[in-house]
Amino acid sequence: MRGRSGHSGPSVSTDAGTRPATTATTTPGRIGDSPLRPDGTLKVTGEFAYASDLWHDDMVWGVTLRSPHPHARIRGIDITEALTVPGVTAVLTADDVPGENAFGLEHADQPVLAVEFVRYEGEPVALVAADHPETARRAAARIRVEYEVLPAVTDPRHAMDDDAPAVHRPGNLVRHLQLRRGDQSVTAPVVVSLDVEVGMQDQAFLGPESGLAVPAEDGGVDLYVATQWLHVDQRQMCLALGMPPEKVRLHLAGVGGAFGGREDLSVHVHASLLALRTGKPVKMSYSREESFFGHVHRHPAWLTYEFGAERDGTLVYARARVLLDGGAYASSTAAVVGNAGTLGLGPYRIPNVAVDAYGVFTNNPPCGAMRGFGCVQAAFAHEALMDELADAVGLDPVTVRQRNGMREGDRNITGQLIDSAAPVAELLQIVADLPLPPQRDADADLRALPGSVGNTTHGEGVVRGVGYAVTYKNIGFSEGFDDYSTARVRLEMTGGEAVATVHTAAAEVGQGLITVEQQICRTELGVERVVVHPKNTAVGSGGSTSASRQTYVTGGAVQAACVAVRDVVLARAAASLGREVSQLRLDGEKIVGASGEVLTGLAEVLGEDAVEETREYRHRPTHAIDPETGQGDAHVQFAFSAHRAVVDVDVELGLVKVVALDTAQDVGKAINPDAVVGQIHGGSAQGMGLALMEEIVVTDGHVRNPSFTDYLIPTILDMPPMQVKVLEYADPHAPYGVRGVGEPPTISSGPAVAAAVRAACGRPLRRVPIRPEHITGT
Amino acid sequence: MRITTTVNGTEHEVDDVWAGESLLYVLRERMGLPGSKNACEQGECGSCTVYLDGEPVCACLVAAGQAIGREVTTVEGLATEGELHPVQEAFVEAGAVQCGFCTPGLLVAAHDLLERVPDPSDLEIREALAGNLCRCTGYEKILDAVRLAAARQARP
Amino acid sequence: MREFRYERAADPAAAVALLAAAPDGAFLGGGTNLVDLMKLGVATPDVLVDVRELTSREVADLPDGGLRIGAGVPNADLAADRRVRERFPVLAQALLAGASGQLRNRATTGGNLLQRTRCGYFTDVTKPCNKRSPGSGCGALEGVHRNHAILGQTIAGSDDPATCVTTHPSDMAVAMVALDAVVRVLGPDGEREIPIAELHRLPGSDPSRDTTLRHGELVTAIDVPALGMPSRYRKVRDRASFAFALVSVAAALDVRDGVVRDVRLALGGVAHKPWRASAAEYVLRGMPATEASFAAAVESELEAATPLRDNAFKVPMARNVVVRTLLDLAGRDTERELA
Repeated sequence: MRGRSGHSGPSVSTDAGTRPATTATTTPGRIGDSPLRPDGTLKVTGEFAYASDLWHDDMVWGVTLRSPHPHARIRGIDITEALTVPGVTAVLTADDVPGENAFGLEHADQPVLAVEFVRYEGEPVALVAADHPETARRAAARIRVEYEVLPAVTDPRHAMDDDAPAVHRPGNLVRHLQLRRGDQSVTAPVVVSLDVEVGMQDQAFLGPESGLAVPAEDGGVDLYVATQWLHVDQRQMCLALGMPPEKVRLHLAGVGGAFGGREDLSVHVHASLLALRTGKPVKMSYSREESFFGHVHRHPAWLTYEFGAERDGTLVYARARVLLDGGAYASSTAAVVGNAGTLGLGPYRIPNVAVDAYGVFTNNPPCGAMRGFGCVQAAFAHEALMDELADAVGLDPVTVRQRNGMREGDRNITGQLIDSAAPVAELLQIVADLPLPPQRDADADLRALPGSVGNTTHGEGVVRGVGYAVTYKNIGFSEGFDDYSTARVRLEMTGGEAVATVHTAAAEVGQGLITVEQQICRTELGVERVVVHPKNTAVGSGGSTSASRQTYVTGGAVQAACVAVRDVVLARAAASLGREVSQLRLDGEKIVGASGEVLTGLAEVLGEDAVEETREYRHRPTHAIDPETGQGDAHVQFAFSAHRAVVDVDVELGLVKVVALDTAQDVGKAINPDAVVGQIHGGSAQGMGLALMEEIVVTDGHVRNPSFTDYLIPTILDMPPMQVKVLEYADPHAPYGVRGVGEPPTISSGPAVAAAVRAACGRPLRRVPIRPEHITGT
Repeated sequence: MRITTTVNGTEHEVDDVWAGESLLYVLRERMGLPGSKNACEQGECGSCTVYLDGEPVCACLVAAGQAIGREVTTVEGLATEGELHPVQEAFVEAGAVQCGFCTPGLLVAAHDLLERVPDPSDLEIREALAGNLCRCTGYEKILDAVRLAAARQARP
Repeated sequence: MREFRYERAADPAAAVALLAAAPDGAFLGGGTNLVDLMKLGVATPDVLVDVRELTSREVADLPDGGLRIGAGVPNADLAADRRVRERFPVLAQALLAGASGQLRNRATTGGNLLQRTRCGYFTDVTKPCNKRSPGSGCGALEGVHRNHAILGQTIAGSDDPATCVTTHPSDMAVAMVALDAVVRVLGPDGEREIPIAELHRLPGSDPSRDTTLRHGELVTAIDVPALGMPSRYRKVRDRASFAFALVSVAAALDVRDGVVRDVRLALGGVAHKPWRASAAEYVLRGMPATEASFAAAVESELEAATPLRDNAFKVPMARNVVVRTLLDLAGRDTERELA
């Protein structure tokens, strides 16, 4: 590997991830502790500045005019009336985009502002800046856009038909992943199959899309924005604004949740264009309704699966066809197809496999990243089919999964070796062995029954069901992507105290990354006070806050930078003490010898100096898969989880009460155990939501429920108590042995709930979200 | 329109308020109190929950004119003299804050619950907080936080 | 949002006069529905007359054992009133099932009666809706209507100006209908009383009008006569917590010696107005209080159902909730076994 050392620039890390910490510090708040998050107090006093709270003297408000049509040609745009509205300072269209009018995560296929065509309901067409948001909205309503409505592709099952209108190109195919492994003509004595449909879920992060763009004296712009990856935003903004990165500076504003919905651009270029045009800071903040149009959703899916097995339930072959509706623009559809294809048969040993996974363009709302990224949809299919297999061979759902569950040393369906723990059987056993919730008693509080405060059930007609599911998820980016993060760590004495400052661009979206960054610094440097520098593009890329990768990859970068700082400090200490560096450690702001004796203080070694190092960290490379066979080492790490759901179902009314949703998950190493459990709780809730109530209803390309009135997410009354058991089987290739945490709970939770409802009502329930009328069969 | 409202004990007078602004907008954009949040502005999420004349309401649906002459308490007013209220402390300590966008509204709703029902059962807590959405936590640690705050407030 | 003036008035009569002089004006109660509709551009008053603190906030006893509920009584206060809980539990339960605590603290009795439908075509100004934009057609008829009406719709084709298939969203109103409430109103021409069954309309040939109120009429109170029998409200929806009803039932039942002496039955989530199940009531009076009778009664009511392409599930759902609720009231649910 290349390496450059020194303070002036980033250096490619060596294997810092595998080097054991030479500092076993006693510093409180180190890894393994659960120190409180550093922004907690600000968040409970209401002083934490989310992107939607940003304020600037002089600022004006930006608003977006969006297409009402799923597919149309723009014949003309007349902005003259809008410009006459008092208080309006700018009205912009595609002609006003100075650079390339194109952006996109994988393909720059989406215009910043629509030029000739609009391809989905909600596509941005024009922008208005005004001194009050209502003024801007009224002015936007007076922009006259002449549309010629065109036939729309709205059924993804027909998007690849010969006569389907082309969204971008004939055939409307974003990606076809073909995977073939083993014997394609093998047969088996037991065959089960099903078709499953998964509705379109929304990330529904609470903080609306928001940003503040401030025009700079150098002709560039400073953008304060809620996002998941500052540098990929910057790259796209540079292209659209026609500016170099030095002039497009991004700063992470407070993020109110993300879950994949902030990976694509939203207000970024728009606010910047308005700011550069008006010369004033421009604030843009979407309403909830606009938010439903302003970000990608989870791909709805149509899945056809078949398993062939021996009579004892051992899988012989699997065939799967997965169709994902990518909507109007590519976003990250190709990567989602990659996941659904390479991981979509579940954490099982299957020697003979055929998978075809498709992502298609339609004129439906664009779909892209959401927590679980293709594995969520597939899990509803493979877990339902495992239950079918269990029935067919007379096994219980846990045993049939354990019998086929992966183990360390197996190869998955792309032929990749599972080279660390794969505790499928153990995770299932843990949840199966957890005590079940007590049966409802006759005097149960109504609020504990299906229908809750709807007073719908007094116990009659209520049946209890139990369901299981297990999954695995890739952690980190795959298929050869150069996945890295950067950290700058600085150590100095301030006011007589040692202070470490950690600076990464890795987005904190609520998951607790900033706490992890602090914990790593405390562990590696033996210093308690760690300041998290505001996150911006003044340091190298932190990679995406997605794919459950930040603790691993940014954690690795922070560790590497800390080790580099420590090396400098210990080298100085060794020189002045006349000792070997290998005999020295940092702990409690002291330089400590091999037997723990204090030799000197950090204050003495540092003096007035600061020691600062910047490091990049990369995980082991991943590889592209073969286009014909889908074989290859596509991923770098896997994480496993299992859920057990217990539901009470009013089978006459079709109402479900989830009584318990328990889980076990292998997290490798829990850097912050409390935060790990919090992530597992939250992910489980999102999976349950998809199983029972969450769906963006799209008909003829139109979104029918862009509000929390009709897009229902679980409330505290819907959520059950959740027991969480955490395993820590280290991944020896990852810093501290960590495995990504955030996504697996979103994957195994929903199918477990669906299985439990099936068990209670005896119906196959092949579509999620499950509705009352599906349960009653009416 | 001129709005005169007492917020967190201080009288605020704001001129040139447009009639179509909500109390939430006035608090956030005109009174420099952005603590109350705007996750939906339709009364469906509770992130804008404030006390209006002593009762928790969704500020997003209170027309500005209806706030004239009223008393409002927001999340910024829960701490007294620099000391966090027990419910605020409990949320931080119990890990009930992830992204935190729901937190201000939940704090007001939880504060109100504990004022009315000092020792609530889990079901009472769930019912009282059913108007506040959270997307990050699955609500488990929020329940822990409310129980913790109740226990602390019970100790004299 | 249309430009508008916010006005306060000294008393109800002054408020009525203000609005009578403003044909595009509206009364503002708790704002929990109207403010939302204004932000959506669905409601476009040019004058808002704030009446929230103007009408009575009292719940007063009536000589017969009933209650006179001031239009200004917040929903939370009404649900918490001991007399309501004891004598009219259906009303308290309906209010508690309706909305979150925050909304209940703000919403008034008068305003709750007058809340407007949640149909997605009504709330989206870019979509055809005869209720919001008379003559523009009905997007729901051939579109998304899973949660729409199964009774009393006007089904005349998507382009017909009379077509409307939506439901009334209020839980409280369903209970009020079962309770034979009387709505007291002050208007430019003086006071009048409207039996609640006559307050809300079916769409008929003019879906733009939800109620029979004339412009400028202000609800001042609702009288709920004494009931004298046990009552319940039950609501079926897509999640355990607050959501609009798929189907709801407000019922009261008086059973003596195993025979139904009296019954009240109203359905929510099934029609443009709370649906008084008069046919079912007629069938039931004098019948044995058994599951078979309850089923026969509700089935007779639902014979008139005209479900749409995607909401037929509401018919058996309504049947099941009614039967379940009546059995509960008759005290027999614990003895019941599943077929």
